[in-house]
Amino acid sequence: MLDNLPLLAAVNLHKTYRKHAIEVPVLTGVDLEVFVGEFLSIVGSSGSGKSTLLHLLGTLDKPDEGRILLDSERIDNLPAEQRDRLRNETFGFIFQFYHLLPELTTLENVLMPKMIALPVRGWFRQRRSLKQQAIELLDRVGLGHRLHHKPRELSGGEMQRAAIARALINRPRILLADEPTGNLDADKGAEIIRLLRDLNRQDRLTIIMVTHNMEIVGNTDRVVRLVKGRVEEATNGERPALAGWSALPAG
Amino acid sequence: MYKLLLCWRYLLTRYLALVCIVSVMLGVATLIVVNSVMAGFSTKLRERLHGLLSDIVIEAHDFQGFANPEGKMALIQSDPFLSQRIEAMTPTLEIFGMIQFNCNGTAIARPVHIIGIDPAGRARVGGFAEHLLLHKGKPSFELSSEARERQHALHPPHRLDRIAAMLLPPPPDDKPAPAPPPSSESPPSTIIIGYAIAHFRAKLNPDTPPEEVRTLAPGDDVIITTIKGHGLNGRELSPVQWRCAVCDYFKSEMSEYDANYVFVPIEELQRLRAMPNRATSIQIRIKDYRDLHAVKERLQALLPAHWELAVHTWEDKQGPLLAAISIEKGILNVLLFMIIAVAGFGILAIFSMIVVEKTRDIGILKALGASNRGVLNIFLSYGLLLGAVGAVLGSAIGTAITIYINEIEQFLTKWTGHELFDRSVYYFNEIPTDLNPGSVLVINLGAVAIAVLFSVLPALRAALLHPVRALRYE
Repeated sequence: MLDNLPLLAAVNLHKTYRKHAIEVPVLTGVDLEVFVGEFLSIVGSSGSGKSTLLHLLGTLDKPDEGRILLDSERIDNLPAEQRDRLRNETFGFIFQFYHLLPELTTLENVLMPKMIALPVRGWFRQRRSLKQQAIELLDRVGLGHRLHHKPRELSGGEMQRAAIARALINRPRILLADEPTGNLDADKGAEIIRLLRDLNRQDRLTIIMVTHNMEIVGNTDRVVRLVKGRVEEATNGERPALAGWSALPAG
Repeated sequence: MYKLLLCWRYLLTRYLALVCIVSVMLGVATLIVVNSVMAGFSTKLRERLHGLLSDIVIEAHDFQGFANPEGKMALIQSDPFLSQRIEAMTPTLEIFGMIQFNCNGTAIARPVHIIGIDPAGRARVGGFAEHLLLHKGKPSFELSSEARERQHALHPPHRLDRIAAMLLPPPPDDKPAPAPPPSSESPPSTIIIGYAIAHFRAKLNPDTPPEEVRTLAPGDDVIITTIKGHGLNGRELSPVQWRCAVCDYFKSEMSEYDANYVFVPIEELQRLRAMPNRATSIQIRIKDYRDLHAVKERLQALLPAHWELAVHTWEDKQGPLLAAISIEKGILNVLLFMIIAVAGFGILAIFSMIVVEKTRDIGILKALGASNRGVLNIFLSYGLLLGAVGAVLGSAIGTAITIYINEIEQFLTKWTGHELFDRSVYYFNEIPTDLNPGSVLVINLGAVAIAVLFSVLPALRAALLHPVRALRYE
């Protein structure tokens, strides 16, 4: 029964950016539902509002109009502290440019969400077990040998794996991925997608991925296309939809 | 937790921030050194002045002094309140005058302050015997054996008059010659002269630091000129002149005193000035310094008004000088805190740059759930950390400089060949310092507060950055 309710839903989202006096409407009424365990791709040309949609879903930004529901409860209008906590606990983010903190080692980067969540004393009390947890996660993404390297010493693929480990350390319910392969060559990109797919299958992790790379969306459950700030077409047939790719026009 | 880790990492990796540390450090070090030296000057000067001046002085209103000092001292002693609190008393007879002597064929004359004392009594009041160079602690007007030999060499009995005449300036042509000085007295009168009268500092060689040159050796002759009163009530004045032999030097390291004071036996001065059993002041030393004002008030009440005697504490006599020093210190502190304020602006500028540089990281932190307050705290703690590190380093350097300031000064003087701390200008023969832990603490707190205060603005800017815009920042 619970499975039939969407985990995360966007209702009639509007977002307009203002650059000086010019208003640029980015999202003009987006409706979207994401279900537990789904691996959803959002595609669209650049400037179609994909990233904005992802930021709104992850409470990094607020919609001008419309609602975002998590477990049928509105989250877009929560006070700042609660949204901070949602980003820390419920959502995991990965980005095109990895966005690791350059001053910290891989291990410290992975532990960062834990450090944000815990006060100093709590951190020191649990430090050992948390480190162990982070090392296990890094092992799982294939970075067990890079624990104490700084981001600048890692390759692009390695940095993205570290970023995935960081996104997962607080066991989020939803992973939000913004062009995770955008900066990687095809092989490395495919590896990252395989890793995400495994996480999705093995841990029933819900993943929402924004991309403009049509080659990688075939591996996801469902594809949503954004055109001019609206969801133009969604192949939300039976879940998990396997034929998302075929429903899209070629190219 | 992340705040501490990040601030620590920023501290270690942002070399730009070291500039902030250095500026805070220099400010703190300068403040500590200047404060310590000023406090040192002030404390030392007070100490010296107090060491030289007796606690309380009863003074006559003019140089004719008052009669019967012994009687007045007996009156004071007879008061039970005062006799319990007074340690020692001694009369002195003070007058202006002139000293003349011959140095390498050049006649030198300079004004002096002549003080007639009873050496033993004056020593009990303090600030005298310990400053004597030859008879330290055992003041006397005796000539040492070498000085006596020198006297004899200077004045073989048959040539005495001729040499004394040579030493004296020739009389003006149109006036009759003054009466010859009582030069043929034997043994000669003796005098303790200020160290700076008998010595001067000169650069004998352009490459070496200045050296001290002695112009008067023990046993050398000087001629003292002053006035004496005669006639009715001693109101008519005429010059009096006598020769005496240097028997000791007075070196208090207060140049004002060392360059101006000469001491002669009080009975002799009384006799020469024709004012037997008179004195111009009574110097008093009290047992407990805390009684200073009580004793002063009691003395004022005790001494009849028609005697026209004034009672002063040593602080009253040196009040303007002491006040000037404390005002100077206050102004200097305000000015120097500006240095730390300048360091504060440096922190503001550099922090603003660091916030711009870290914009993306701030976006990342916010995406990972860091609150605005958390980001604010990162930068505030960063400011605190920079301020604290700068203050600690500055304190260490400032303290070290303060402790080794004389060694540093000597090294610099040797190295540059230029005397930085001119001993003939200042009162002291070494730079005095007084490192006060309280003022070091205040300086440290002030520096850290300024560092935090100036990081508020950039920290607020960082905290209020929009996460999406920060993430997209290139």
